[in-house]
Amino acid sequence: MADLTLDSVTKIYRPRGREPVRAVSGLDMAIADGEIVALLGSSGCGKTSTLRMVAGFETVSEGSISLGGRRLNALRPAQRNVAMAFEGYSLYPPLTVRDNVAFALLRERAPRAEVASKVAEVAELLEIEGSLDRYPATISSGHQQRASLARALIRPAALHLLDEPMSQLEPQVRAVLRARIKEWLKDRGMTAVLVTHDQTDAIALADRIAVMEASRLMQFGTPAELRERPANLFVAGFVGEPPMNLVEAEVVAGDGRPRVVAADGLLTLELPALNGPLAPRPGQRVWLGLSPRHLAVGRGPQRARVVANQWLGDQTHLALELGDGAAALPLIAVAAGMLEAEPGESVAFEVEPRGLHLFDHEDDTALYHGSPDGTTGEPA
Amino acid sequence: MQRSSWPWRIFKALCLTAISLFFLFPILWVLLMSFQTNADILRVPPSPFFTPTLANYKALIAGELTGAGSTLQIAYMKNILNSFVLSACSVLLSLLLGVPAAYAFARYRFRLGENIAFTLLSFRFAPPLLVLLPLLLYFQELGLYDTYIGLIWVYQLITLPLILWIVRGYFEDVSPDIEHAYRIDGHSWLRSFLKIAVPLARPGIAAAALLAFIFAWNNFVFALILGSSDVQPVTVGALAFITASGIQYGQIAAGLVLSVIPTFVLALVMQRYLVEGLSLGAVKG
Amino acid sequence: MSFLILDRLSKSFGAVKVFDGLSLAVAKGETVAICSPSGSGKTLLLRLIAGIYEPDAGEILIDGKAVTGLAPDARGIGMAFQNFALYPHLTAFENIASPLRARGVAEAELTRRVGRVAEILKIGHVLRHLPRELSNGQKQRTALARAIVADARLLLLDDPLRNVDAKLRYEMRHELPRVLREFEATVLYVTQDFREAMALGRRIGVLHGGGFVQVDRPQRIYADPETVEVARLFGDPTINLYDSELAGGAVSLLGLTLGLPGAADGGRRPCRVGVRPEHVELDAGGEAAPDGGAGGLPVTIEAVTPLNQNAVLLLQAAGGGEILASTTLQRAEALARGPRRAIARVRPEHLLLFDRDSGARIRTG
Repeated sequence: MADLTLDSVTKIYRPRGREPVRAVSGLDMAIADGEIVALLGSSGCGKTSTLRMVAGFETVSEGSISLGGRRLNALRPAQRNVAMAFEGYSLYPPLTVRDNVAFALLRERAPRAEVASKVAEVAELLEIEGSLDRYPATISSGHQQRASLARALIRPAALHLLDEPMSQLEPQVRAVLRARIKEWLKDRGMTAVLVTHDQTDAIALADRIAVMEASRLMQFGTPAELRERPANLFVAGFVGEPPMNLVEAEVVAGDGRPRVVAADGLLTLELPALNGPLAPRPGQRVWLGLSPRHLAVGRGPQRARVVANQWLGDQTHLALELGDGAAALPLIAVAAGMLEAEPGESVAFEVEPRGLHLFDHEDDTALYHGSPDGTTGEPA
Repeated sequence: MQRSSWPWRIFKALCLTAISLFFLFPILWVLLMSFQTNADILRVPPSPFFTPTLANYKALIAGELTGAGSTLQIAYMKNILNSFVLSACSVLLSLLLGVPAAYAFARYRFRLGENIAFTLLSFRFAPPLLVLLPLLLYFQELGLYDTYIGLIWVYQLITLPLILWIVRGYFEDVSPDIEHAYRIDGHSWLRSFLKIAVPLARPGIAAAALLAFIFAWNNFVFALILGSSDVQPVTVGALAFITASGIQYGQIAAGLVLSVIPTFVLALVMQRYLVEGLSLGAVKG
Repeated sequence: MSFLILDRLSKSFGAVKVFDGLSLAVAKGETVAICSPSGSGKTLLLRLIAGIYEPDAGEILIDGKAVTGLAPDARGIGMAFQNFALYPHLTAFENIASPLRARGVAEAELTRRVGRVAEILKIGHVLRHLPRELSNGQKQRTALARAIVADARLLLLDDPLRNVDAKLRYEMRHELPRVLREFEATVLYVTQDFREAMALGRRIGVLHGGGFVQVDRPQRIYADPETVEVARLFGDPTINLYDSELAGGAVSLLGLTLGLPGAADGGRRPCRVGVRPEHVELDAGGEAAPDGGAGGLPVTIEAVTPLNQNAVLLLQAAGGGEILASTTLQRAEALARGPRRAIARVRPEHLLLFDRDSGARIRTG
């Protein structure tokens, strides 16, 4: 339980006879004591290399990592006071699940009775009581993953590292186990870093999420920040299921207020008066981002044709199209509950001001976000 | 983690050199001997400095061994040709029989299947002498003694199990779904075997064929008993170098070098397939 | 007249009975999604239809003709595999062309048809590549193209989106219905993901215990499940389930007694009560609660896990027992900032009752 600082951490792999590969480039992160942070990205983005450097399985090429004020770079994994749940579980095959979970505590010579009660507690949390006296090879991969999680969570380490902790869990238990693990970590004030490619896990568990892509940190913020104020085009197109609709557009001067025009005038939206150095100017090419949750269907000035209506139990995903043929502009809208709309039907919709974002067409950085309270917009 | 200190690196280099010397020195020595006269070879103490001569090779190719005062007619080049014919035909026959059989063993479970496969493999570890004498009697009766066909037939004991077991493993590594997909596309069973299974197992088939060829080439005892000079391979032919008037070490060495060349060249050519065979498993389709 | 009929199929492997009298009828042009947990035989079912395995008993009819006993190449179907099953030594073009080559299609026509399907699936630019040079998404599209290129009368899609990343999976969920419509295919679509099944299937079949326990429209599967397994399978977060007893037309739930309108006042019956997380209504607790929390269940909020469109709350009832509730992000944030106490309410009409032993639905009223 301590704070973790990554200071310009870089990892360069130098395979013999080939070009060096930059896996992590100049990563700066400050993780507070008791915070849960997720490293989120697709495979090859550098998140696993980062985790392995923190754990001590990879050397740090440049920069430094410190935990609770102590520099970790030169320490062996066992000296770092870090607990880790491995993606491949890494349970000891000749030991029962119970012995696997208790292993680290027994090695530290904790009293047997205390260990037994802690094992029982964490087993109940993860619903593996029935598997405790079995061997890892005889239980399902979902239970192996839970056992691996239990082995990490039971340790009072300064830092908990969880590598794809939920990937094998049965869908029916995911939601409840996510909630319980979060409660366990928060109750004990544990600092945790989890690596995942599944943004649902990241959003549900983490206080803050570091989105990584191509060895670089794209944004480090709370789930709400990633959703409401994505720092660049990549984050906007990555976060959310579905992510933001992204359309090339142009800012034009209107009479009074500027407007943004997309798809040859198929979609025109008013912007508030913009100020500030980054604010888009009339004539500027931009990427227009429209959050699916803020495309309100059934009211408003715009009209679109329904291409598909997919009701998923507690929410409806609508595929809409503006215009016809090859030039048509596809949009995805999401609404809570069920929405009656047949494919082929024409529906009204409106872009809520808070669902509107603009990104620079050249360098992809955010220029403008609709404000969360829905009144006025603000330059990024 | 991968960093190592320089004393350790020197230690590793020394170990590697020692091991390489241990394995490579005899080969080097034989190569040197093949360019020496018998007198040079038998000199005490041995010397690495000598005047190289091609006399040993010339004698072998001409088929005339000149020993101490006498001349012996041998057919060493014919022996090499025999080795080649026997090994190549054996491997070809084994491929024709073994590849479909390997496919059957890999894809289908049938009655006694595992027993049959194991029996075939057991030929590899039964001592050949066990079957040789009865075979000799059969062969003389059937007129197969001292024929290519007879020897190729017996060589199946060596090559067929090898090919069957190696290729079977490769077929098992090909996802059955790939063949299912091909069948569902509308292709017949035979086409799916020829166009999908065989090409995907090709590196394994090449590796197995190469190994079988080398094993057949190096066989000694079958040809010694079941053939006479007409069909004898190099392994048996080299016996002729031991004459009443002495052992011609230089010529034996030259004979060895000549007999190794075909398998050596073959291994070099097939190396690509061997490597491909090893790496294919890492790439999923 | 149904296009595909599965008539009382049975199949065992050794002592394991996978299917026992399974039946299904699919109309021409219809997409039926088969959704069930792993190990229930979804993939085997497709393989029986494809002719890779033969059923022990029962009949498979495609377009009115019995195909049981026919080899896979004689059944005229298209299939996409979960692991793609592309031919690694052939280019994407040759992979897609394979069914056309089997049918002896002339070269010019073949090129045209491969080109058309590749354009629809947006892989025209990678046709010359070998499978190992394709990204996962391109492999998946190539496999799909191969399945549909020959206008197969029946398409079997075996969890084709399983091995592609979440973003591509989402895109394909919207794109696939359009492609399938274009080829007027009759489709069986196997998936483990209930959202995928709801998005793609006109009807959904749930396999459990050797047969279909429910085949119905997505709305009915979700709102009106036949068994407890169906209820557990559909919905994220999963439905809350509690052991209870139906007595006197009412059930008790974590100490709360709820009268069921229309329930017969019969004897006692052990049951399981299901409540979907989105049907758990939350009021701020304590004095702020309307009518002082009467008729509600006092709970503490143990954890808040936001999702993309909503948030999941883990609640602990005063008398013990966990409840998962799902609500909007804003509401969840507001509740989490407060004293972390609330009053949970459930409307009787939202309760789903199941027999405790058989798991079958108990319908009241």
